[in-house]
Amino acid sequence: MSKQYVMLADTVRCINCKACVVACRAEWETPMGHTRDWVTEVELVQNNQPQVMLFPGRCQHCDDAPCIEACPSGAAYKREDGIVLQDNCICSGCELCVPACPYEARWLNPETNAISKCTFCQPRIDEGLEPTCVQTCVGRALIFGDINDPESEVAKLLQEKEWLQLVTDEVNIGPNHYYYTAGEAIPDEVMPKLNERHLPGTIMKNVVNPVGAIGIGAMLLTFLGAGVVKLISRRDEVNTSENKEEK
Amino acid sequence: MSTHDHFDPSRRAFLGAATGGTALTIAGLPSQALARINAPHDHEELKKTTEVFGFCDMCYWRCGLKIRSRDGRAVKIDGNTEHPNNWGVVCAKGNSGLMVAYAPNRLKYPMKRVGKRGENKWKQISWDEALDTVATELNKAKEKYGPQTLALIGHGSWEKPYHRLAHAFGTPNTTSPVFGLCCGPRGVSNMIIMGRNLTGNETIDLENCKYFLMMGRNITESLHNGETLGWVNGVANGAKVVYFDPRYSITAAKADEYYAIRPLTDHAFLLAMINVVINEELYDKQFIAEYVVGFDELKERVQKYTPEWAEPITEVPAQDIRRLAKEMAAKAPSVFVYAPRRMTRTSNDFGTGMAITILNTLFGVWGRKGGVFTPQNYKVPEIDLPKFEHATANRIDVGGDFNYEQPEIPIAHIQDKDGKYQRADGAGVMGRWPIANPQYGLTNEMWKAMAEQRPYPVKALMTAGGNGFLNSTNYDIIRKALETVDFYVATDVIPNEMNMYADILLPEASYLERYDDLQVGGGREGYVAVRMPAMKPLHGTRDAWTICKQLADRMDLGAYFPHDSIKELIDDRLKKAGSSLAEIEKVGILKIPADPKKNFPLDHGGKLKIKTPSGSSKAEMIPGMLKMMGYDKALDYVEQVRPNEDEFHMTFGRIGFHTHARTQDNVWTADLMRENVLWIHPESAAKRGINEGDLVKVSDRKGRSGEIKAKVTIRIRKDTIFMVHGFGHWDSRMTTANGKGLADSDLASYEVDPSIGSMSMGLSLVKVEKV
Repeated sequence: MSKQYVMLADTVRCINCKACVVACRAEWETPMGHTRDWVTEVELVQNNQPQVMLFPGRCQHCDDAPCIEACPSGAAYKREDGIVLQDNCICSGCELCVPACPYEARWLNPETNAISKCTFCQPRIDEGLEPTCVQTCVGRALIFGDINDPESEVAKLLQEKEWLQLVTDEVNIGPNHYYYTAGEAIPDEVMPKLNERHLPGTIMKNVVNPVGAIGIGAMLLTFLGAGVVKLISRRDEVNTSENKEEK
Repeated sequence: MSTHDHFDPSRRAFLGAATGGTALTIAGLPSQALARINAPHDHEELKKTTEVFGFCDMCYWRCGLKIRSRDGRAVKIDGNTEHPNNWGVVCAKGNSGLMVAYAPNRLKYPMKRVGKRGENKWKQISWDEALDTVATELNKAKEKYGPQTLALIGHGSWEKPYHRLAHAFGTPNTTSPVFGLCCGPRGVSNMIIMGRNLTGNETIDLENCKYFLMMGRNITESLHNGETLGWVNGVANGAKVVYFDPRYSITAAKADEYYAIRPLTDHAFLLAMINVVINEELYDKQFIAEYVVGFDELKERVQKYTPEWAEPITEVPAQDIRRLAKEMAAKAPSVFVYAPRRMTRTSNDFGTGMAITILNTLFGVWGRKGGVFTPQNYKVPEIDLPKFEHATANRIDVGGDFNYEQPEIPIAHIQDKDGKYQRADGAGVMGRWPIANPQYGLTNEMWKAMAEQRPYPVKALMTAGGNGFLNSTNYDIIRKALETVDFYVATDVIPNEMNMYADILLPEASYLERYDDLQVGGGREGYVAVRMPAMKPLHGTRDAWTICKQLADRMDLGAYFPHDSIKELIDDRLKKAGSSLAEIEKVGILKIPADPKKNFPLDHGGKLKIKTPSGSSKAEMIPGMLKMMGYDKALDYVEQVRPNEDEFHMTFGRIGFHTHARTQDNVWTADLMRENVLWIHPESAAKRGINEGDLVKVSDRKGRSGEIKAKVTIRIRKDTIFMVHGFGHWDSRMTTANGKGLADSDLASYEVDPSIGSMSMGLSLVKVEKV
């Protein structure tokens, strides 16, 4: 069976120390003002008593990822192991995927002019390492692994406890990120929300694409300028790498 | 080689249309190129790095590190999974260490002051000129006033060589804020009752503890990786947490029970707990019989401290006090009364500390699983040095800057029979602060000694890191001290308000750029760890040991720095311990494995070895030494200050991603929090017309004041305000932190604990008004 990677966040163990945020910044050299992961501190009042809940967040690597449908260049894609990735060589930086994500996990990296997001540390896990946020997590609140491996910690933990996903009636797109809250309901604040600027995938598929030949102009212009250069360089790069392989 | 992988073209709705022809042909791409776009994606690959071992310097817990470098630059700080201080995890502060090294405004070259002291006008000079000047000026002061005229205040990167240099110079006046401004009362309490230090890296069996009674120990935000992780594991293993704090911190959010105790009254609550534990016979009878003296006298003394007496003082219901005592007793000895990390708050912190030690002792936690373990120590002999003429060597030179070992003669410095100089701060001096620990001294009293030039002239100052203003409270005294001394040399990695006053400013290499003397520690495992450079020192910086050696050579003190390099020193020490630098560099840490028989002797038929400062082989509930000196009155409750109707208790504390006053200018930690805010209860805010985000003015009874934005929250008592510590910088060189937030240190009180001389910072009462 192929791998299916998931991230678990045990919010009882999270202390909002933000080690994950800085480790990610250091690992992937994200520019100031942007982060691929975050911790949301939700302050609640219950029976006039304070309550604080903590939610580490990042790309949820959804099964039915709207960012992929929204991406006009094919840069956003899902790997067989479930990880949603962004091909920087193709990404035009058009940002159509940004409002598509109901978790606000995507942003334009001004240094690369490509979309940046959590990759579950794909380059690290491909070498057998843990994601950097997991490795550094002070409360060991983050647990990562292959859900299809019954011996994995994530598979066992998912069996042992009741885990929740950040899903609503409106947004239920199969996130591969689970949360343990010891029975507490997840507050609305951290729930996914449809962005009104987002052009849903169904429109892309059913309306835009069939009439693409005629009606696409306006949309095309939004990414064309930046995109073409990237598409060409991607073509050149593919050519070069193929040439190398032939040798 | 790139990894290629499967992808699902059906997801690529738009591209599907594009490859159909029209759209991208408009863009001028041939169909051949479009086929390329459908080619499998390239995956990013991890860039190759090299690794060295180290230990952290972003706070004083000192976690074990593995630092990755690429092209001669440190690029990522990871944890060393073998190090018992952190087991591989690294907090946000630790991860931000890179930005200390790469700070564009770090201290880069030796500088000479050219304006007035504190005016921040500098001229770059050569290392030779800088070191020559320092040596000449220090020797001049020595000639005129004697060697004791030098004060050394450390709070920086592995300050050990500076202490050695100062001791070699002949002064006893070496100090670090860790005692007088932080943990002092706790250390002395455990030492004087139990003969155990139990501070620094505390030896608590967190994972197996079943009941944490946490007196303001905000372990999730005043966090140390290994300690916090151990506690989180303990909680996950089923420990109950009862947390006391006027503020609902993140630790409160993790607790089973939370009490918004009235500020400054922990001692009253603890005395009532002791009262119940004794009167209801909830204590560990066997342990008391075998290991404790003074129980009967204690029983008599605490009779008046009933839960009913404590209730109106603490606002903790009497019935809850009774219940908590019983609950704890049921889980004893796997329980722990957790002291706050910084224990310089009330006018009787020493009494509070002793009450905590007594309560832990009544529950028989010592040497027991789930209680306090007995640490193991990796024996690494010191290098051979000439005798220190005036300062005893049994100080900072043992085991790095945290001395885990129980000194053979604890508090041996009360009277100096050998005619050695008494400390200017009075720590360990009869008639002044005899029970203050002279290893770290009373930094607050040292500033006073410099400002007032009493009891004798202290005319030369050397600081190794630290920020005297923001880590203390009395700015006037500190400013006066800095302006009064004849000569002030500061070494540090980063600029701050204190080193702004230096005559000569020496730029240190950061902890990522240098070797340092060994880290020798004791947990359940004994260990020795190495710090290796992950890159060459940037700019014109030099490591602490080299700076000290080069100064020592210039002052004819070279015998105290006999090696040619710090690497030789490390190798020398390790060879004496049967290893070598080459060996430790491969693994980062050498350890003695944990041994339950040694860690938990009482669970394995063993005995507890106790030796208190007064020579008792049993824990002293009423320490004989205190009684002799008349300090045992600290065991009794002292009424604390109360705010008037229009005032608040002024409280401050930590957040998980800033260390003291030293990370506000770090661009990575600053990005997580740029300025502090004033926590105020909604009712108190409404009375004053204050809304969330409003700018408010906070003023104390001494006439000090400052402005800060309000956070209106029910997470704080109505009679208390809170702000995160370390903000409110005013050094223009601190380009990120300058002018952001308010300095709690300029509002905290500066009375002293009457028994040990540590500072009482929590006595300030303030008014708050909308600006």
